[in-house]
Amino acid sequence: MANNHDNHDEHHESAPVSADGDLYGVLAEYDTPGELLEAARKVRDAGYTEFDTYSPFPVHGMDEAMGIKRTILPLVVWGGGFTGLVGAVFLQWWMNAYNWPWNISGKPAWSIPANIPIAFEGTILFSVLSCFFGMWILNKLPQVWHPFFRSDRFARVTDDAFVLGIQANDKRFDANTTTKLLQDAGAIGVENVYLETDPGRKTMPKWIFAFIVASTAFALIPFAIAAKARNSHSAEPHFHIFPDMDFQPKYKSDSAMDLFADGRANRGEISGTIARGQLNGDDEFYRGLAHGTGGDQWTTGFPKQLEVNDRLVERGQNRFNIYCAPCHGYDGRGLGTVPQRVAAGGGAWPARNLVEAGGIVVKMPNGQLFNTISNGMGTMQGYATQIPHADRWAIVLYVRALQRSQHAADTDVPAEQKGSIR
Amino acid sequence: MSALVKTLHPDEKIKAGNIGKTMVKAGVAIAVVFFAISIILTLTGSASGGHVSKWSRFLHAYVIGWAYIFSISVGMIWIVMLHYLVRGRWVTAVRRIAEAMACAFPIIFVAGLGFIIPLLLGYQDLYYWAHPDAHNHELNHHLIHKLGWLSPSAFAVRYVIYAVIFSGLAWYFMKKSREQDETGDPKITDKLRIVSAPAMILFSLAVFFVSFDVLMSMAPKWYSTMYGVNFWGSAGIGAFSAFALVVLGIQRTGRLTHSVTAEHYHDIGKWMYSFTFFWAYTAFSQFMLQWYGNMPEETHWYKYRMFGEWKWVSILMIVGYWAFPFAILMSRWTKRIVPALVFFAVWQLVFHWLDLYWNVMPSYDWSVAYHDGARVVAGPLTGSTSAHHVGFSPVDITVWIALIGVFLIGLGRNLKGNLIPTKDPTLPLSLAHEVQ
Repeated sequence: MANNHDNHDEHHESAPVSADGDLYGVLAEYDTPGELLEAARKVRDAGYTEFDTYSPFPVHGMDEAMGIKRTILPLVVWGGGFTGLVGAVFLQWWMNAYNWPWNISGKPAWSIPANIPIAFEGTILFSVLSCFFGMWILNKLPQVWHPFFRSDRFARVTDDAFVLGIQANDKRFDANTTTKLLQDAGAIGVENVYLETDPGRKTMPKWIFAFIVASTAFALIPFAIAAKARNSHSAEPHFHIFPDMDFQPKYKSDSAMDLFADGRANRGEISGTIARGQLNGDDEFYRGLAHGTGGDQWTTGFPKQLEVNDRLVERGQNRFNIYCAPCHGYDGRGLGTVPQRVAAGGGAWPARNLVEAGGIVVKMPNGQLFNTISNGMGTMQGYATQIPHADRWAIVLYVRALQRSQHAADTDVPAEQKGSIR
Repeated sequence: MSALVKTLHPDEKIKAGNIGKTMVKAGVAIAVVFFAISIILTLTGSASGGHVSKWSRFLHAYVIGWAYIFSISVGMIWIVMLHYLVRGRWVTAVRRIAEAMACAFPIIFVAGLGFIIPLLLGYQDLYYWAHPDAHNHELNHHLIHKLGWLSPSAFAVRYVIYAVIFSGLAWYFMKKSREQDETGDPKITDKLRIVSAPAMILFSLAVFFVSFDVLMSMAPKWYSTMYGVNFWGSAGIGAFSAFALVVLGIQRTGRLTHSVTAEHYHDIGKWMYSFTFFWAYTAFSQFMLQWYGNMPEETHWYKYRMFGEWKWVSILMIVGYWAFPFAILMSRWTKRIVPALVFFAVWQLVFHWLDLYWNVMPSYDWSVAYHDGARVVAGPLTGSTSAHHVGFSPVDITVWIALIGVFLIGLGRNLKGNLIPTKDPTLPLSLAHEVQ
């Protein structure tokens, strides 16, 4: 950087940067942060208001020395944070509980614990944004140019200089007395700073302007691509960002393959063989069938592998509440959360009432009920892949218990507990 | 004001003098009187909560009180190590007091024998895992595999290890700091900074395992990996609240009146405040994942705190331990105006105790099950929520106060010599400390 006035440090005199414009203010440099602090106090005590101090790092006690009032930034941040909190809670309430309530596995549409993480994030986000932009506004930022920038001395503020600047528009400013005040406070150099007269240097350099325009245009490209894709048709295949993930050297089940004579990638079971552990030879336990004199029929009892007792009923209840209750309801009447959700959307999709007196489920033999759980019926899928055989039998037992409980008579109650029923 | 460094004020009273001895005397008096009251209350009372022994309530309260004084020293050794580790400055003026509070560890661990020895002698009514019915396969099939870790002898061995770690850390940092008072060697500060890094890791693990063993194993069937962090967060609240009161108490005797300023109280208050939020953050994190996951081995711990009588204590915790201090302690002025800071220090010290009470006491009520006609103790957090009572007992308070007396003994023994690290190279910065 050109500097025509190298000598002013040595001579401690107010040599001008370039005296071509009006006087903007006076800069004084001090040797240590402590001296800067003392100088700031003296300038404040002399009644100046339009001055500031510049240092490479924050100097403790400077606010008090300069007579700066406490910032209102905390209040701004508090307001921002509170707005974020209320906004986040309202957003979730409006979307989840009011505008578009949606039954997800019977969970409530409005629940405070589930909303706290978003409320927390909203509070933090708005606090931080109001802190960041509040600080900018309170500090009159962004400020890309300042008359003090013309001083080489000032450029060292980000490195090792401790500088105090007084503006000429201060009511108490006087070229001579102000300079003397700063020198008396121990300045190692004082200089006047003048405003720029060349209008060309007051405007932003053209390359910065070009850069902003270019980068803004560049940032719009993704949006332009998205807009184009939404409004046009194309016969071209997708662009593959990760081709080795999209086209993996493997075959999926039930896909075509030239290598084998049947043209399939699947290699099925070899006929006449059964894999280890998959014999499942007991028709009653695995299929619910009984071999009688009249041929195969549904079994009416329970397979001999299972002991019918309280624990099996409890196991059945546990499995039923997981796999069956979402549609059939906990009481088996067919009013689970899925039919409720359909009804809430204006449709009707009732699940079978498992406990209806004289209904088909009550009449079904155990084996057929087992088969229905395994292989499904109507729109109900089979659960053979999800529920092990023994658990399916436990569910059969629990459905029987449900049916019994829904049609219980006085005589079913044990004598010693009769007194407790009203 | 506003200088970057300061030297000790020439009139400053930095010698402890007799305050240590006075504090030990007061601690002994408090401990003796309140232990006597607690023992009389226990002997004249009767067994409750499904326990056979009438000492069960006393010992539950003892575990709470022990965790309380332990957590205060935990927070103090932590701030000492942290400030060496990150080259902190502000704390130097009050660091000797923090070191003395941390040096209560040996006495605290001796006091902890009050519940370790009964366990070793086969006492069954404190920790369910020490009860023979914990081995019942029908009831506790997913507890049995933990019983190798949770056995009285293994517990006692770990207790000794914890005692060595915590007492050793506190002793070492105090010894080196006092050594610097004599020699003025700035290298000691550098050495302690290097030691702090591994010590901090050791400390963190030890705090976690103490919280798992002493507090979390009150509900031995429960799982939470968050528990140690949450305990440490609560410990920070209690520790910095106690720190503010102890520093203030010492200043009231005319000592350190020039060195410790509103700036130092402001920073202590900031730690109180940030730990208040940190505790709430971790407590909610632990709760929400388990609430959302909805798995019985996790939710049962909250079930007994969300329903029944304990619900009201849980709500009180949210409001009293977090919301109220969070809202009011946020302001700069609450932390700088001494009466306001004292109010919140006392407030949070009471709620810190309530937090530990809330962690332990729901496990007090044990239910009984019958299997094949045999009576089996099903242990804590089983049975109906309505059978779980807050069941507040005077012993809960008297044992707590007695153990605070024990802490004062541990602290008083170490309040001797200089109350400020006179030759620490960061002391001039700490004396000139200013919060921006």
